[in-house]
Amino acid sequence: MEILFLIGCSLILIGAVLAVLVKPIQLALRIYVGVLSAGLLFNLAFALVNLVHLPATPLLFPGFPVLSSFFRLDGLALFFLLIITSAAIPAILSTLSYLNHYLHKAAAVRAFLVSFSLVLLSTQLLVLANHAIVFLIFWELMTLMAYLGLLLEKEKPEIQKGSFIYFATTHFATFCLYIFFFLLHSQSGSWLFSDFQLTQSSGMVFYVAFFFGFVGFAIKAGFMPFHFWLPHAHSIAPTVLSAFLSAVIIKTGIYGIFRMLEFCSPLPLWIGAGILAISLFSAIFGVWYALAQHDIKKLLAYHSIENIGIIGIGIGLGCLGITYSIQPLIWLGLGGALFHTFNHAIFKSLLFLGSGVIYSNLHTRNIELMGGIVKSAPWFVGLFLIGSVAISGLPPLNGFMSEFLIYRGFFESASIFGGYFPFFMLLMTVGLAFVGGLALACFTKINSIMFLGNERSPHLKFTVTGLDYLSLGLLAFVCLLFGIYPQIILGPISSVVAIFQSGESAQTFSTFAQWNFITGIFAAIILLISTLIIWKVSRTNQRKSAAWGCGYAGQTSRMQYTASSYADDINGIAVSVLHLKSKVKIPETIFPETSRFHSHAGDFSEDGLVKPAYSWIIGKITSVDFLSRTDIRFYILFMLLTVLFYGGTAILWTYL
Amino acid sequence: MDLSVSLQGLFPFVLILLVSPFLVGLINKQKAILTGRIGAPVWQPYYDLARLSRKETIYATSASFISRIAPVISFSAILFTLLILPIGYVRPLFSFNGDIIVFAYLLGLARFFQILGAMDIGSSFEGMGAAREATFAVFAEPIFFFTLGSLAFISGHTSIYDIYHSIQLDEPSALVFIIVSSISGFILLVTECSRMPIDDPNTHLELTMIHEVMILDNSGIDLFLYQYGSYIKIMVYAVFEASFFNPFSMANEWLGFSVFIVVIFLLTTVIAWVETMIARFKMKSIPQYLLFATAIGILNLLIYTFVR
Repeated sequence: MEILFLIGCSLILIGAVLAVLVKPIQLALRIYVGVLSAGLLFNLAFALVNLVHLPATPLLFPGFPVLSSFFRLDGLALFFLLIITSAAIPAILSTLSYLNHYLHKAAAVRAFLVSFSLVLLSTQLLVLANHAIVFLIFWELMTLMAYLGLLLEKEKPEIQKGSFIYFATTHFATFCLYIFFFLLHSQSGSWLFSDFQLTQSSGMVFYVAFFFGFVGFAIKAGFMPFHFWLPHAHSIAPTVLSAFLSAVIIKTGIYGIFRMLEFCSPLPLWIGAGILAISLFSAIFGVWYALAQHDIKKLLAYHSIENIGIIGIGIGLGCLGITYSIQPLIWLGLGGALFHTFNHAIFKSLLFLGSGVIYSNLHTRNIELMGGIVKSAPWFVGLFLIGSVAISGLPPLNGFMSEFLIYRGFFESASIFGGYFPFFMLLMTVGLAFVGGLALACFTKINSIMFLGNERSPHLKFTVTGLDYLSLGLLAFVCLLFGIYPQIILGPISSVVAIFQSGESAQTFSTFAQWNFITGIFAAIILLISTLIIWKVSRTNQRKSAAWGCGYAGQTSRMQYTASSYADDINGIAVSVLHLKSKVKIPETIFPETSRFHSHAGDFSEDGLVKPAYSWIIGKITSVDFLSRTDIRFYILFMLLTVLFYGGTAILWTYL
Repeated sequence: MDLSVSLQGLFPFVLILLVSPFLVGLINKQKAILTGRIGAPVWQPYYDLARLSRKETIYATSASFISRIAPVISFSAILFTLLILPIGYVRPLFSFNGDIIVFAYLLGLARFFQILGAMDIGSSFEGMGAAREATFAVFAEPIFFFTLGSLAFISGHTSIYDIYHSIQLDEPSALVFIIVSSISGFILLVTECSRMPIDDPNTHLELTMIHEVMILDNSGIDLFLYQYGSYIKIMVYAVFEASFFNPFSMANEWLGFSVFIVVIFLLTTVIAWVETMIARFKMKSIPQYLLFATAIGILNLLIYTFVR
């Protein structure tokens, strides 16, 4: 079966080569999409086949034991491979129609295709890596290739700025990971993940290693307050890449945190509690910031932060379970987190690819300029709506099911631990419910402002290609399938979670809820809704008339409720926390003058933490500015002094 | 699950469907009496629903398919909450671990599509109502989890039926739970069913309203579904409130039944009285009012954590 994966990876590489070699750019694009989707299908099949037959540990390269030991095909790796491939296939399918608008810039498109395929490849190999150096190589490759992918329209200044923020931040994350892995190596004397061991008895090293590892992975995952790069990078990335960035690349941070939990044993209590706190914070403020955005891709980026927070809450619960070795809690927490990671990859891809379709038609990302799309593309809006209901965590779609597991984890841990736990878990529950309410407000906002009502700026036609419908439809189908019948994925998730469960009492998911009841209810709801809709459509007594306007007939599309006014009620409550600034100019004379309203949503992490830290560092660096000379001899002197310093230290080290 | 249990579970479902318009009629009648009018007959909501179901449906020219499906989805979601909700000691049709979460999120689904249906018209009236509905829902959802959720944490159950059945009369703290939960349950009812201190159900032409202004452009069968849905919702929250007095029915079935009826009747009286005596709050102060309910909901758990 390993041959499937090798074929898949080779096809991805061949696709990259063909994208460069085939002369007509149109043809190259088509071949690329065809070859890459075939390759990804192979890898998807590989992940599925191996996930079903867990816990078998096959070798990736039979006959090459050393090479094979660099890769590990355990449940966690395969589950993330499943996530990557199932999010990558729709993204690749959408590439065709999205890049059609850039075909006049053939070289840039070819460069994008090559870097995109390398991103796909390195991400898949990254989660399979078992060797720290191999992991870091693929991590770096993924980061750099994603950076090159961001530069599709590199002449635009906002893209240069956003991609540089991405570049700098993710390299800081890589720097932290280097320290993390070197410390792990010094502890265990091995580079293999399967040998890594980090115990609290090692004293300071444990804390330092944990700190750097967590910061490195949290920057990638986008936990608050490490999230500041995300809105910049996602909003400027070509949409197919931002879909992949949000669905998969930030999930490699989650993957890393899962691996860290595996290395750290026993797991102290503060890790679980800390992760819970930082995750709840990310979830609440991620969605609250999202509510204030007008840029659809920036908004979706903040929603990624929210969902990373929800995943983190699951991980935190699982950590508590691991600390006290309570099997049901491990299952509910980590299982919920894994399931939500998968679900988020699916519906976030759906939403990002949908926003790409909108961008290629309307050439704007500002939702205040959209509206009325539902009339020209009702099926497209329906698919986007499925993604929105799913991300809001509403039944009967998949987002609900994973949040359901996490909620069950709260109740479970409260009843197991007793003491003060019910109180804290109630606060977590209410926090998650609050996040759900805010997400509902946010997604009703973007759906109604973007799609409903009348067109705010006229668009002639709205075209959605067949391939777009295919990729969005596939994702929507998965949302529906795993919402109504989650049992099919909960089985594999159980075997993945078993890695973290000690002892033989590995739980099966069927003990936690009467899943068939839930499936029955959700199927019945969908049945009832469809029946009622068919019945209602078949009714004859209906007609059309103008909307109610208190007798005023001259309504224009500019009189509609805007996104800012929709969100103003909620955002007004937390203006100072959210760094919302607005400038209003109201005419104060008798005769009408021009009036203005301008609002801007900042970010506390960027404005309050990163920028001051950056300017502090710049200030410190400029204080040694007197050393910079124009004469090259000074530099030679500096070099000699440095060599002398290191050499002297080495001599002293050896002889003293 | 044998047939008699299922039939018993269907009984509350059918009962609520039949009785819920009567409850609204009862509120309106008492309100009329309190303001010195004779008022419409108690059966008026039934007449209204019958009339609406016959009338033709008019769609705004700016409306899309969303307006057509939104009332249906919203109504179906509310209908299914009934299948989870127990009436007193009667076991609902579906009762499983974690149904409290399904209950809360089904109401969320109903709200999602009602908001979309309102925004579909593209009119500022509906936009304003929808924005307010979304805002207050953000604060109302914590109240639900602070009341029923705290009882869930105290009892260790996650099924609404089991949670209600875990309330015991012989503990002194149970009385405090009932009182505190009743207060925040009432505030939840008022918010979710758009009654007086939050929203005025009568004057739908004012820009200051929430629920009534959202359904301004709905007519005929759509309005039927929305109105019937809102009647059912009031009944759901009334039952939700009355079930806190479940311990009485465990002592004696008939005592419990009469307590149940009396509590629901008292609730209608309180709603009518509040609507007569109090004007609607300013929109700005509504979040504070809801946070107050949240704060007293947290009392439940503080009592549990620190007293016992």
